[in-house]
Amino acid sequence: MKKMMFGWSGAKLLLWASLLLTSTLAPLSVFAQADPASDVIPAPKEFSLSTADLVYYAYWLLALLVLLVIVYIFNIGAASEKLTGRTVINWTKVNAWLSIIFLVAGSAGVAYELVYHGKLLLPEAASAHGDSIDNMFNWTFGFTFAVFVITEVLLFWFLFKYRHKEGRKAAYYFHNNQLEVIWTVIPAIVLTFLVLRGYSTWHKITQTPEPKAKQIEVFGYQFGWKARYAGDDNKFGESNFNFIDPATNELGLAIKPTVVALRDTLMADTGRLGNDLRNLSSMLKTKADQLAKMSLAADGKAYTDLEREMEDIRNGNKASELRKMIKRKGVQIQRINATLDSKDVFNEAANDDKITTEIHLVKGQPYTFRYRARDVIHSAYMPYFRAQMNVVPGMMTSFTFTPTKTTKQMQDELKNPEFNFYLFCAKICGSAHYNMKIKIVVESEAEYNAWIEKQKRVVDPVQPATPVAPAEAKDTTANPKTATNRNIKPSLAMGF
Amino acid sequence: MSTAAAHGAHADAHEHHHESFIRKYIFSTDHKMISRQFLITGIVMGVIGMMMSILFRLQLAWPDQKFAILEFFLGRWAKGGVLDANFYMALVTIHGTIMVFYVLTAGLSGTFSNLLIPLQCGARDMASPFLNMLSYWFFFLSSVVLCWSFFVETGPASAGWTVYPPLSALEKAMPGSGFGMTLWLVAIALFIVSALLGGVNYISTVLNMRTKGMSMNRLPLTIWAFFFTAILGLLSFPVLLGAALFLIFDRSFGTSFYLSDIWLNGVGALENVGGSPILYQHLFWFLGHPEVYIILMPALGITSEVIATNARKPIFGYTAMVISLMGISVLSFIVWGHHMFITGMNPFLGSVFMFLTLVIAVPSAVKVFNYLTTLWRGNIRFTPAMLFAIGLVSFFISGGLTGIYLGNAALDINLHDSYFVVAHFHLVMGSAAIFGMFSGIYHWFPKMFGRLMNNTLGYFHFWLTFIAAYLVFFPMHFMGLAGVPRRYYAFSVLPEFNVWLEVNQLITVAAIMAGFAQVLFLWNFFYSIYRGKKSGPNPWNSNTLEWSTPVEHIHGNWPGEIPTVYRGPYEYSREDREEDFYPQHIPGDDEGHGHGAPKTKTAPVHTEEAPAATGGNVLFSALKKVLGFSPR
Repeated sequence: MKKMMFGWSGAKLLLWASLLLTSTLAPLSVFAQADPASDVIPAPKEFSLSTADLVYYAYWLLALLVLLVIVYIFNIGAASEKLTGRTVINWTKVNAWLSIIFLVAGSAGVAYELVYHGKLLLPEAASAHGDSIDNMFNWTFGFTFAVFVITEVLLFWFLFKYRHKEGRKAAYYFHNNQLEVIWTVIPAIVLTFLVLRGYSTWHKITQTPEPKAKQIEVFGYQFGWKARYAGDDNKFGESNFNFIDPATNELGLAIKPTVVALRDTLMADTGRLGNDLRNLSSMLKTKADQLAKMSLAADGKAYTDLEREMEDIRNGNKASELRKMIKRKGVQIQRINATLDSKDVFNEAANDDKITTEIHLVKGQPYTFRYRARDVIHSAYMPYFRAQMNVVPGMMTSFTFTPTKTTKQMQDELKNPEFNFYLFCAKICGSAHYNMKIKIVVESEAEYNAWIEKQKRVVDPVQPATPVAPAEAKDTTANPKTATNRNIKPSLAMGF
Repeated sequence: MSTAAAHGAHADAHEHHHESFIRKYIFSTDHKMISRQFLITGIVMGVIGMMMSILFRLQLAWPDQKFAILEFFLGRWAKGGVLDANFYMALVTIHGTIMVFYVLTAGLSGTFSNLLIPLQCGARDMASPFLNMLSYWFFFLSSVVLCWSFFVETGPASAGWTVYPPLSALEKAMPGSGFGMTLWLVAIALFIVSALLGGVNYISTVLNMRTKGMSMNRLPLTIWAFFFTAILGLLSFPVLLGAALFLIFDRSFGTSFYLSDIWLNGVGALENVGGSPILYQHLFWFLGHPEVYIILMPALGITSEVIATNARKPIFGYTAMVISLMGISVLSFIVWGHHMFITGMNPFLGSVFMFLTLVIAVPSAVKVFNYLTTLWRGNIRFTPAMLFAIGLVSFFISGGLTGIYLGNAALDINLHDSYFVVAHFHLVMGSAAIFGMFSGIYHWFPKMFGRLMNNTLGYFHFWLTFIAAYLVFFPMHFMGLAGVPRRYYAFSVLPEFNVWLEVNQLITVAAIMAGFAQVLFLWNFFYSIYRGKKSGPNPWNSNTLEWSTPVEHIHGNWPGEIPTVYRGPYEYSREDREEDFYPQHIPGDDEGHGHGAPKTKTAPVHTEEAPAATGGNVLFSALKKVLGFSPR
């Protein structure tokens, strides 16, 4: 070799590259403060070097050191090889020993994980079926861990044992039917066992009817959960996504006055949108006047936003958007009207339902959670109960389980008075996916009864039918069809 | 269009006609150049994907820390040096997309199928070099479109790499479901075109263009793996294309394939009724599951070749290896439901899918035991390629075993969408496949660039990456078992999970360490292309046909006739031979029995004298071969 492959220039380059990377990736309160644009960035509360920071620096230093060592070993090795013509480092030996070291250190690491992180795992299941899942897990763990240890040890041991030696020839060994049959059959038997056991566990959890189960509806939306109890009549009222009004009827329950009020709001909206559509040119003029009074320098984003709105009006985007909205609301109004007379939908069962922001359960009572989603798929995850089910718009899913430990019991068991059960979202569902939880309280029957008493019914029994605009509502219930047609027609004509 | 025949004629006369820069380096139809193009694009995408992972790892480890420098690079996505929650989702999504499709599908299978199928089968080029070129350029276009989505106002797709509707279907559901999502879908559609063009080509080349004596049972396991991979891709990618098209329709043309009964914040009740979001999941995972084998099988093929060559032993149980690849391929089509145990799918279906899923463990176990027996009593040379192959086997074991938990419907109830899943697939298809890719790069670098990579840097690269990968993914199993859900930007509302903060920091540091290790690789790779030590024609003393070609790349691969093949590819350390290898093309009386292959009864499949005339003909006869009859 004429030229040393990685000369000093190479080493320097690596060094600089690593320094550059280190400094760019460093988080550092230090860096943030030194930043000239510190008035834009909210300055950190105070400057202090915590242990975490120090550890962090130590990591970086370590990484840098490792790199330096690499560069040095490499240079010295290459240089002396060039001088003496002898191999300085016997890489076969090094790699063989490294694989043994890896095996030993890896085993220590696994042991550490099992002991130290093993303690942080979920405690015993707080539900009746949870034990069977944990049991299944332990069986699987037993088998897989044994296979894991045996095969990994063999792998790295073989690597060490059969490392290259000058003059030795490998065995010409290519085939052994017996052996292959053995290691096909053994896994097959083990897996048959696991499949059968898994099948019975799965069947027990998902396909065994629980006649005594009480139903609770859990409603997922961007970004939160609501629960609904069936109330005294033990019957859930009907619900429909067309009835949803975030202010008065967030679950979309079939409560006639509320739904009628919603329909009227929608009709008013369509009328207004129709007007907007007709008056787009004057709207453009107003906005132009407004823009003339503003300046880019002074108003910044407001200015550009306004500009964009005007552009949308000019190129017809605004008009098509309005038409779409009118059409969408028109469809919703029609759907509401189609159900308004139905005694099956508006059967008053919803009136005594209770919508709550916490889920309270009685210990030992089986429950079926019926899940509804408002907008996108969510997943209702309750790890302490070993329960999870996706919450899918357009279809009802459910999960049945029996809580077996009260919140209080769990707090004592974990020695954590702050502990609470939560149901949280496990399926990516938008920007605030990580902000979606509802508290679950497991308690005694008496405590539960006291709590549920205090929860408000959807419709107050004393003053029935008091939604937003009672006067209007009364008017429209009298003759919904004509009311709709009268109000909707002009806007629809504009819409299509 | 240059055809294989034309190459042959020219090559015979050593006629190196001059090619313009564009024909040679850009719109090249030469499979070796195309494979380099795939590799380098794959590496570039890999670097992007890895940097993204480091960004979101920083957020997970130090959620309250301000990284001023991030604002400098990312602007409004990292206001005040704190990653935006939407951008976090985008990073997670695009990291997954890039790694799964662009690096581990195109970068791995694209590179090595292109390089090795003609060389190891003994063909002048692919069945259709032109389609091959198109395949690369569709892939390139697709990469550009995907990267473009970073520059649109609402940001790139951010509904997770599986882009489940309705989240991905509704523009107002999250910022990332705006124009960025459209670009994602277009990119994937282009990608699928690329994958299909490639797949058709690989299959027809393997079936029709093998040299004299190269019967199917003498094919190296790499080719078997690429062959099954191509079949999987050809059968499953169109389904994803369908899924993506329906999603485009739902997004842009008001259809309701995946939408029903939705009330969206800021919009109100939607008109769509009758669709099902679960339909999308079925379609997606019908590709999605074979996809993990599309990723993994080429890596397993490469590993088989590298392990046999460097242990200087015949691969143990050649037939069993082929049969298990075949078994995995067939089974991979009927297990997709295990991604959907808790979507509300009929629980009975769950039991069926659980059974089928766990059956896959059997061929996988056979493969692992065969690898181990191949090493047993070998004479193992520690080339970096060999180390990476061993790394793959190690990851394949530790990641594969956790599949037995997740394939079990009952256990999946509690593990679904937790970090346990993240740990599982990052080990078994992420780390394992990328190690297969590294192994292939180190092993065939001399073939691709005529030079050797530096071994010392290779060793450091291996050990650092190997240790870092375990440090990153092993602790995640425990997080998952504690119920920590994946794709969480922060644990502010579930403070009980903050006990894992320390572990998250360790993982991030390990991830950054892995990043550093890749700097070593990149340096080694690009430096060696130009300045590496010159390689001999057969640097690893390997048996397979690609090492019988000259070091300098020529059109048509072999200057003279394509060599005839006399025996299987794994005749290492034969007792009757002085040397410990016995190349396939060296004439010799005996057939060899390295994999128990009987004397081939079939006539030579493809010979120099009867070259495939056009791409169309080749495809046609490939079809004939697959169907087993002649349509006439």
